[in-house]
Parts: sequence; structure tokens; C-alpha cells
Amino acid sequence: MSRTIVCDGNEAAAWGVALSRPDMVAVYPITPQSSLAEYISQFVADGIINADLMDVEGEHSVLSVLHGACLAGARTFTASCGQGLAFMFEPYFRTPPLRLPIVMSIVTRDGITPQCVWGGQQDAMTVREVGWVHMYCETAQEIMDTVVMAYRIAEHREVMLPVNVNHDGNYLSYCVEKVEIPDQEEVDDFLGEKNTNWHVALDPDRPMGVDPLTGGAGGPGPALFVRYRKGQCKGMQTALRVITEVHEEWGKRFGRYYAPLVEEYRLDDAEYAIVTIGSMAGAGKDAVDLARESGEKVGLIKIKTFRPFPLKVLRQSLSKVKAIGVVDRSVSFGWNSGPVYQELLSTLYFLDERIPTVSFIGGLAGADITIEHFTRVIETTAVALRGKEFAEPIWLNEND
Amino acid sequence: MGKGYYTIACYPEKCDGCNDCVKACAEFHTGTQQPEHSRIKLTKVEESDAFVITLCHQCGEPRCVMNCPSGALSKDVNTGVVQWDEKRCVNCQLCTLACPYGGITYNSLSDQVMKCDLCAGDAACVKACPRGALELKVGADLFNSWGDLEDLFVPGISACLGCNSELLIRHTLRRVGSNTVVATPPGCIAGVGSVGVNGLTATKAPVFHPLLTNTAAMLAGAKRYYNRIGRDVTMLAFAGDGGAADVGFQSLSGAAERGEQMIYICVDNEGYMNTGVQRSSTTPYGAWTSTTPVGTALRGKTRDAKPLPLLMVMHHCEYVATASLAFMEDFYAKLDKAIEAAKKGMAYIHVFSPCPTGWRFHPSKLIEVARKAVETNMVPLWEYINDEGRVYLTYPVDNPVPVEDYLSLVGKYSHLDEEQIAHTRDTIDKQIKILKSFTGEGPEVVKSEEFAGVSAVKHVSAAASTQQGH
Repeated sequence: MSRTIVCDGNEAAAWGVALSRPDMVAVYPITPQSSLAEYISQFVADGIINADLMDVEGEHSVLSVLHGACLAGARTFTASCGQGLAFMFEPYFRTPPLRLPIVMSIVTRDGITPQCVWGGQQDAMTVREVGWVHMYCETAQEIMDTVVMAYRIAEHREVMLPVNVNHDGNYLSYCVEKVEIPDQEEVDDFLGEKNTNWHVALDPDRPMGVDPLTGGAGGPGPALFVRYRKGQCKGMQTALRVITEVHEEWGKRFGRYYAPLVEEYRLDDAEYAIVTIGSMAGAGKDAVDLARESGEKVGLIKIKTFRPFPLKVLRQSLSKVKAIGVVDRSVSFGWNSGPVYQELLSTLYFLDERIPTVSFIGGLAGADITIEHFTRVIETTAVALRGKEFAEPIWLNEND
Repeated sequence: MGKGYYTIACYPEKCDGCNDCVKACAEFHTGTQQPEHSRIKLTKVEESDAFVITLCHQCGEPRCVMNCPSGALSKDVNTGVVQWDEKRCVNCQLCTLACPYGGITYNSLSDQVMKCDLCAGDAACVKACPRGALELKVGADLFNSWGDLEDLFVPGISACLGCNSELLIRHTLRRVGSNTVVATPPGCIAGVGSVGVNGLTATKAPVFHPLLTNTAAMLAGAKRYYNRIGRDVTMLAFAGDGGAADVGFQSLSGAAERGEQMIYICVDNEGYMNTGVQRSSTTPYGAWTSTTPVGTALRGKTRDAKPLPLLMVMHHCEYVATASLAFMEDFYAKLDKAIEAAKKGMAYIHVFSPCPTGWRFHPSKLIEVARKAVETNMVPLWEYINDEGRVYLTYPVDNPVPVEDYLSLVGKYSHLDEEQIAHTRDTIDKQIKILKSFTGEGPEVVKSEEFAGVSAVKHVSAAASTQQGH
């Protein structure tokens, strides 16, 4: 029997972990992820999660023990963010090419310096090119559901890649909502057999040399290396299909349908659209509703899956509008814009005609992106639609 | 594979020339004590009190046997004794010329050659010696015990000539066996191809490259999962000093604190040899490396080595030991203890690993360097047993040879001046002092005059002092 509880986003993630029956969870606390680590620890203490709890000495070892366990055959989970993710980077960087289906929540946080412990997506965005699947959630329920789905995606035989389930620090981590917890047996049935190390293992019954030196000028090395890299890219591209299938199946089984890659909101007859990612979409949709009441033909595009980049689906959505305003919760220092914005420019190349764009950066360092902010975003994008160019990004909280 | 046999080991430094062995030998073989009948000879070294002991070595490939034209000499495959058959002997005495050791000699009284036959396994000379200068022993204990086990590393790996690491990994894995997950982080051992190159591997057991930084954590994760599913699999790390003492130290320290079950071997070649001989925190004071160069302004490393094995003791590892492969029996004994200890928690072995390439000495000198470091107390051999909370010196060197004897063997110390050598001497003294305070045997632990005549109190106080670790 499913049941309904009221909890925050971090607890919802912990329930998702519990439902997924991992063999090992590793924790090291960092704000705003800490309560997620605590929920998981308590769940293990209470027997809700029957897993080895690895309370290790830092994030670097958190992911490293999971590497060892996963190579031995374990289903694993952890969560981190910000500086923790930065410290974890060395094994983090290595997880996708080892093709380890580890699931990790990033409770997104802005980066230091300046010293900052509050939300923002700078951490997850900074590691977007490493090769993990990145999915961003909008609600506590979606967090729980996506954590479970993440295992199906990660452990899919043709994917075999680690998955980050990202939720906004502060806004989702501590936001309390109604969450329905499905029946364990139904989740077991949905997840099926664990599949963690059929391809690479540290097991005396199947001895192999894991990760030999590969490459070097001459000889078979570089070609072998290319094979690994292409395989990884293929796994990522396959993940687009698998993510979609898994979301559909989840909807059928549990009645909750989420747009797997890109969600369109009031887009079909829209002249222009705003693009969002993560929890800000709620305020964005409210602002769109308000603007619609005053006759603006505006819609919203929300990105759930940012890695692999959903080029085809996004191209389809973008082709419906004549201007876009993209709201980022982090900064691309190299491009003087938001990273989502910068990547959307690549997508626009595939459209038949060039359309005006505006980059907005908001919600840094724990700041809220309110309906008022989004109303400004909509108004500014409308100005762009009428022909004005915006060469510089607009910083939403600059004058708050 | 063959086997090692009993032979008589001689310790000439214990011999005072009393001739009891000679008499016993003659007595056993002829019923008289005439020294001419003795198969064992003592020769006084001129102008000294020392004696040379001469007798048959019972060689594996005996020259006497090969040179005998009449088949009178043969090696007994059951006892290992080189036997002489009186009936076949033609008394040509070629054997006495062939033997490089003077082990078979002409007896002028019997007009025949004679040689040691180990008195059918109960050597009379050994029993007669009052000073323990002779010992009947198997010279190949390790070979007999473990020689039949499979070498889990393939031949032809790309180690340098005289590589201590190759010697170490072959012996260790042979003993630990293939029901093992082997971690070889970046460094020489990975560099020689233990994990492999381009899809080929050198290890006949599950082996992997951890990161330089996370060896202990990765092994911990794998071990915990095997424990969870009820499989007994050994975790074994061969990490260099960089991977253990420097950038990998946090992971090692964390795993030790949590009591993760593994055998963690630090292969300490005192620097980053695989990347071109840079300094590490275990590089000793004064040593040349490519990042502690010797020039007009700098004279090698300016700091002492980090005492990693002692740090591991303070982590309360189940077992901690130092080792040098010049003392292979000592190493094997420690490996046995580590295998047992790793069933309960972390077993840490710090292997002193001289590197001919990086330290600048001839590959043929490897074992000599490894031995001399111990005999000078540069590298004390000891072990810590957590159940007892106590350190034991496994090869106490009470009268160390001068440290110059070691330093002069190794090119990386060739520039040391008198002041630097004095510093090294001081460091050795301090190191031994600290160690002895851990063993409870040091002179500082209990001042005997304070407890004069009260031996029971002395004993208890010594134990208490040990537990407090001074």
C-alpha cells in the first residue's frame, strides 16, 4: 500500500533511496545536504534501509568506497554538493568512464568564494561535462520518484552510467510538501534485478585487470581509448531514450507523469518563452499565468535532463517560439552568461531562423527567484522579441 | 618444484676453536678422536682469534658429483646428503679439487676421501658444539613452505633491474593467494604493468588502479560488500610512499580509524620513483632527489622522513610492521600475522624498498643495501600487535654498524657532509629511543633505582608505561 507523508526534499530523497534498496550508502555532511545524510543514517539505524552505512572521513572517500563496492557488485547511493562535490571531483571524474551505475543527489549549492552556504546551481553546472547523467527536480515528490528511476536508468544494460539527481539547496532541500510513498513491492517490481558490475568487476571469481594503462603513441592504445570514449558517448545518447521510457513506465505504474527531458508549459500558441531549470519553474509558471491573463502569448520550457543534453526535444520546443529568455541559477564565467543559456545557443543553430535571446542570472547564493523576477524576465524577453538586442546578461537579484 | 634440505649452518663468529666438533665427528665416524678422521675442519685465521669452519655444504648441484669419474658420489633426493660410495671410489681425488668449499678431503690415515654425511640426520658436531656455532637447519624454509605456490605475476614485467618491488609483489601474492583483490595505485608497481597496458594484464588475480589518493577507501568498499554477501575475499594494497604517506594519507587514515579489513603494504622507496625520483614525505634527511637537488645553495632534503608506520600504530591498526626483504623470513612471518589481522581490521606493513634506479646504486647491491639499512638502525625491524598494545623489535640491533657504511652504498647520499651525517646519526638515535619506549624495554621506561629490589612493582609499572605510550 502506498502512503502519504509530509516531508522536505532531503527526506523525500532519503525515501527514494530506501525504496531502491541499496547495499551501501556513504555519507559526509555538507550544508544544505546534511539533513539528507542524517535521514539516511537514521533510516539505516531504524532498519528502514538495510545497507552498509559508510560514515567516512570526506567526500573523496565517500565516492571511493562506493567505487569499490560497486565494482564488487553493490547498489550504492550518496549525496553531496558545493565544496564537497569539488573535493570529490577526482573519483567523480572517474565514475562515468568506469561505467559505474552509482546514484548521487546533488543538493545544489553556490560556490565559494565569497563564502556561501546557500543554494545555487554553480556546483552541478560546473561538473556538467564530466559524463554523469544530470536530472533536475522541481518538487519533493519528483525528487523521491526520480531517485528511484535513476537506478533503472543507471543500471540499464546499454547505459551503465552514474546519475546525479539534482535538487535546489534551500528551496527544495528544506521545502516541506506532500509526498506519496509507493508500495515497496511495486517499486521492487519496477526496479527488477540489480545490475551493477556485469561489465567490470573486482571479483576473484571473475578475475580481471580493471583500468589498465590505455593509450600511448603507436600500438593499439589510442584506438582502444577511442573505443572507450565512443562507448561512453553512446551510453549517454542511449540514456536519452532510456530516461524517456523509464519515466513513461513510472507514470503508468504509479500515476505520476513527469516530462523526462524537457517540459513545455503553455507553449503551443506561445510567441516567446522563458526557459528554466529546477525548482524555479514553479514561480516561472505562475508568472506565465499572470502574463497570459494580460494577453501576453508567453510559455515556459523547463529542462529536466541537462545531461545528456536533450538536443532533439529542445530543438522541437524552441522551434515553436520567436524569442527566448533563459534563467540560470549559476554563472558561465567564460561566456559572461548563464551556462544553460550558453548551451541553448548551440541548439538554436539547428533552427531554421535565428531568434532573439536573453540571458538572465538569478537565485545566486540562496536568493529567491520570485514571480516578480519572472515577470521582469517575461517583459524583457518581450522587448527582445520586438527587436532589442541584449548583449549582456541580466542579473535578477542585483538590485533586490 | 624441488625442495630444500637439511644442512649444517656455520656461525664462525661464535667459534672459539675448542675443537669439540672435530673430536665428535672423528669419534662418530671412526671411534677415535683423531682429528685426521674429522669431516669438519677448523682453521685459525692468522693474527686473529677467528676461525674458519670448513665442511660439506651438501650442494644442490654438487661439483664433486659432477667431477667423479666412477659414480662414487651422488646426491640423495630424499635426504639431500651428497653420499660417497666406498665401493665405487677409485681414489682419484678429483672431487677434492672440484669442491670450491673444501667440503670433501683426503684422509691420510685411511688413504681415502671423506666427507660429511650429516650422521644420518643427527649431526654429532652440532650436538658437541658448546657455543652454538653450528646448527642443523633447512636453509630453504620459505622455499619448502611456499615454493609450490603459483607466482601470480607473469614473467616479463617492465621493472628496472634489481627492483625491490618486483621481489615483494611476487613473494607477497604467492603467499596471499588469488582469492584476493589487489590494488596498485599509480606508482612503480602499477607502472611495471601489474594492472596492465592496453588491455593486457600482468596479474593473475583481480587487480586495479585505484586513484593515487583513494586506495584504502576503494578496498574498504569492496571488502564491506563481500562481507555483506558472506564471501571471504582478501583485500591487498601495494601503495608507494606517495600513495600512503602523502596524497593518499587521508584515505588510509580514515580506513584505519574505521578498522577496515585489509592488508595495506606501503612500498617505501622514499620518493616518487615512477615519475622521475621526486621527494616524498618519507624521503630521509639529506637525500638527493630531483626536487631536493644538490647544488651550491641546496644540499638535498632538509627535513626528516615522516614516520608513517608509527602513525599507523597510533591508529590502533590490528597489526603494524616494518620489513626489509634482506630479512625474508622476518617478512614472511609478518605477512602471516597480517593475513590473520586483516580478518579483524587493518594490517599495515611498511616495506623498506631500496631503488637502484632512483637511489643511484648498482642493481646487484639491492639486498646489501636492504640489509645494511637494518644493521645501521636506519630501518629498525619491528611489529605492533594491537591485542597486546605493544611493539616488538623483531631484529634488535644493539650494536649497529656505523651509518656511513650504509650511506656510502647509496648514491643519493654521496654529497653528505659531516654535519649532515651527524644529523642522520641523531635521527637514528631518536628513532630507536622512541621505538624502545613503545616496546617497554627502553632504559627510560623504568628507572631501576626507583624500584630497587621490588621486581614485581617494576614489572607492573613497565606495562603501565607501555600502555600510556610515553
